[in-house]
Amino acid sequence: MNPFFKYFSGIFTALGSLIGGLRVTWRELWRKKVTMQYPENRDTLQISDRWRSELYMPHDENNEHACTACGICMINCPNGTITVTSNMVENEEGRKKRVLDKHIWDYGMCTFCNICVITCPSDAIFFNNDFEGAMFDRSKLVHTLNKPGSKLREKKKNLPPTPLKGEKGATISPPKKQETQQGIDDKKVS
Amino acid sequence: MTTIIFYILALVIAVFSVLAVTSKKVIRSATFLLFVLLATAGLFLMLNYHYLFAVQVTVYAGGIMILFIMAIFLTHKPGDEFSTKMSWKVRSSVLLAVGGLLLTGYIIVKNVTRVYNYVQSGEMKMQEIGTAMMGTEKYQYLLPFEVISLLLLACIIGAILIARKETSAGETDSDSDK
Amino acid sequence: MKQPLELTGLISNLHTFFRSNLTPFWATVIEGALVLIAVLAAYAIIALALIYIERKITAFFQSRLGPNRLGKYGWIQSVADLIKILIKEIIHINKVDKVLFYAAPFFVIVSSVLTFGIIPFGQGLQAVDFNIGIVYILAVSSIGIIGVLLAGWSSNNKYSMIGAMRSGAQFISYELSAGFALMTVVVLSGTMQVSEIVESQRYAWNVFNGHIPAMIAFVIYLISGHAETNRGPFDLPEAEGELTAGYHTEYSGLQFGFFYLAEYLNMFIIAAIATTVFLGGWMPIQVQGWDGFNQVMWYIPSYVWFFAKTGVLIFFSLWVRWSFPRLRIDLLLNLEWKYLLPINLVNIIVMVVVVLLGWTLEDLFPIFRP
Repeated sequence: MNPFFKYFSGIFTALGSLIGGLRVTWRELWRKKVTMQYPENRDTLQISDRWRSELYMPHDENNEHACTACGICMINCPNGTITVTSNMVENEEGRKKRVLDKHIWDYGMCTFCNICVITCPSDAIFFNNDFEGAMFDRSKLVHTLNKPGSKLREKKKNLPPTPLKGEKGATISPPKKQETQQGIDDKKVS
Repeated sequence: MTTIIFYILALVIAVFSVLAVTSKKVIRSATFLLFVLLATAGLFLMLNYHYLFAVQVTVYAGGIMILFIMAIFLTHKPGDEFSTKMSWKVRSSVLLAVGGLLLTGYIIVKNVTRVYNYVQSGEMKMQEIGTAMMGTEKYQYLLPFEVISLLLLACIIGAILIARKETSAGETDSDSDK
Repeated sequence: MKQPLELTGLISNLHTFFRSNLTPFWATVIEGALVLIAVLAAYAIIALALIYIERKITAFFQSRLGPNRLGKYGWIQSVADLIKILIKEIIHINKVDKVLFYAAPFFVIVSSVLTFGIIPFGQGLQAVDFNIGIVYILAVSSIGIIGVLLAGWSSNNKYSMIGAMRSGAQFISYELSAGFALMTVVVLSGTMQVSEIVESQRYAWNVFNGHIPAMIAFVIYLISGHAETNRGPFDLPEAEGELTAGYHTEYSGLQFGFFYLAEYLNMFIIAAIATTVFLGGWMPIQVQGWDGFNQVMWYIPSYVWFFAKTGVLIFFSLWVRWSFPRLRIDLLLNLEWKYLLPINLVNIIVMVVVVLLGWTLEDLFPIFRP
């Protein structure tokens, strides 16, 4: 191409593409704003189900949970966030059985890797969506997951974990069994 | 009022001229020189020579000083302090400078009345300057005169180009021109 | 023409008041001080408003809301920022060139304020009105770059230095284009005095009066003015990806505030000068013969006209800033030296021909003649 012609056609193609860019940003200017105004929109706030925030132990209406105090979560935790203490209690048949005393989880140390939930053999613990975990004191970040006076659920009942109310009122359904099973499989493969 | 401003400007010029010469860091000298130039521009402004003021600021403060500073940036270690030795050369040059100062001072004092007359002429309009540059009457036709000086510059550069030895083989452009 | 909201009456009343009650010396001193205070106050207020507007519009371009917590729609946000920057500590760095390091921000801000002074904000609202107005603008705005260069050098920091060198190269290059673009208008209007340029655009703005060459000059002035302020796609002196913050990396507190303020004000000044020179300044839109229409237009005070026109240009500058990616340094200089400057030089000759042959809008259609 003639360099003289090229010079001028270059100017006009450049102008054309610049105007195209300006048009794109002009459209963007009138688009709906995506900013979420957090404290005001608490009621309508949508947090993804996959969001991991606080570890919790679902208790049913009889104040019973599914934790057998096996300690697998504690063993698997990469940075020692979970401490499971248990007592040996003799039951009526005379056999000694391990009973959960305290399931302590440190919010401040957790990396939310979800390994404890995946490896739990009895699906006793889950992460909820309650993201407002900021505290003024570090000691308040250490949570005891089992409620006082709670006890192990009888095996025979084997109820599916019912949807439970989170602390701030948002309904939280525990992750489906299938997902966790898959997670375990993945872990075994790796 | 005018006198006060004049003395302030004069003080600035005097102090920063001395600082520009005595400063150990070359970049600081350049900055002090800039202050001197700006204060000179202020003097022009005081005399209602607005055009000269603007040209002084544009050309010297805005143009030449930036080139100075950028050139200094490109030198080796511009921030280093350097020491000057007082050799006989320096002493003789000081003598010469004082002599020159006396001579120019004498000339200025001798012609001070004429300078004063120029000063009294008031603000100069842009249009007058333009006519003086481009007009064809008496005391006009300044721009072609200036352009002739550019021609002289071109002649000098051409002479240097011709006289210069071609040392490197890479300069094919100048070869092809011949 | 009735002009109920103009400030000219107030200003002349003040002037006669001072003249009649004080000796000429003190009248001059007090009037000078008042003008100085007014200019500096306007400088600060416009800077604050600009910072707020810029943050808001930037946010809108990015589908965000921008500052909206402090006051209604967050309008006190920039005041809060100002207070923050005023009470911040100025960090003293050990191995800087002390004198130049502390002097550099003043160059930038002084240059900016001096240019600010010549802007006609409205009828009679102009601090200085030289016969050489346009040359004065070019002269004082060229001082600022020395501050940038000195800041970069005296910081004793490689990034600052590179940023300053880039800024210097960029500024010197684009100053040429801006100057030539303004000169094109000087050719058209036949004067350099800013007030006369505004007055001559009573019925036809310069950008229409000089049609093709004036429009080219207008676009070139906007591009080069944008580049001079180190913003938008031309902000590579402070390209944060490679140079942290360019020449003001080492500055903190109020000193950084000076650079920040000057940057915003330069944006305003470029827009204001473009308004004054190309878009009729504070002149309301007027049509010869339509007296009723003109009267209605005059009811809107001149400073409102000025700020509205300037605001459009500032919005355009922000629009460009958030549309285009940053240029590489060689492409940047290419744009100036291979495109803008040659086009500009040809353009100024075209303008001379247009003016000499009487092809301007005012010459072709006498209705536009003031």
